[in-house]
Amino acid sequence: MRDSDVLVNNPHVSRSALEAMHGQVFGWALSRCDFEQAVAEDLVQQAYVELLTGKARFDGQSSLKTFVFAVVQNLSRNRYRRLAARMRLLGKAAPEAGADVAQLEEPAEHNELWKAVQELPARQRDIVELVFCRDMTIEEASAVMGVTTGTGRVHYDRAKKTLKGRLAND
Amino acid sequence: MTDIEHTLREALQQGQKDAEAGRAPDFDTVFAAAEASVSQRRRRTTAMGGIAAAIVVAAVLVIGQMRPAERDWQYVDPDEFANSTSWAAPSDVLLPEHRFDIFGDIPVLIESTDTDEGALL
Repeated sequence: MRDSDVLVNNPHVSRSALEAMHGQVFGWALSRCDFEQAVAEDLVQQAYVELLTGKARFDGQSSLKTFVFAVVQNLSRNRYRRLAARMRLLGKAAPEAGADVAQLEEPAEHNELWKAVQELPARQRDIVELVFCRDMTIEEASAVMGVTTGTGRVHYDRAKKTLKGRLAND
Repeated sequence: MTDIEHTLREALQQGQKDAEAGRAPDFDTVFAAAEASVSQRRRRTTAMGGIAAAIVVAAVLVIGQMRPAERDWQYVDPDEFANSTSWAAPSDVLLPEHRFDIFGDIPVLIESTDTDEGALL
């Protein structure tokens, strides 16, 4: 880590380290928002803002990748909370208007197994993505998701069982 | 890692690559936008702080001007004080009037004409 590279408000984070994981962080942000490009870009930029301001302060207790992924995860949760609140308001005012807002872009065409992953319950999908696609351990993935390792392991096993069945059928 | 995990990893990483291929924006662009956002936020905070300080200063000045002007304090001149004071004898004009009927209100005294050794009883 070069000294000039270090973020002023986050002494354990460097710009070059963020650049190295940028693609992965963006991929994680994409999957957080149903593959909406603009929203994912906003999430990543917001995550960098949090790191630059020191609002999200990395203290080296986990890997930087786990930390940045968790920041993106929290930001996307906050975004969905805001969206849900807005939709509830819209739903009260005009139920049809709420339905329009909920409509999101369809994900692109992928292979069958990838589609099967997208159909898994949210927590199972997250842990599969983090472990298999982002090369994280179950402990790291659980930390990103904000659940205990035991809970993460349960989600992982269930997802694996479902996908194994899917593979056997294919 | 078991066989199934290995298979899943390979298949999913391919799917993930397909889904994300060429979609990641340039790091420098995103990071520069984040830095601009931070500096803009900082400028806004500074401006707001400046405005708040100006409002406080203005309020202090306005309140300061609203205070009564200071006077030249001096001792009381006894003659002037005495002349400015008037005295009047107390009056009972405000007291309620106590009137009574001398025929009706005074009790009739019981009189006796009997005497005892020359004195009236």
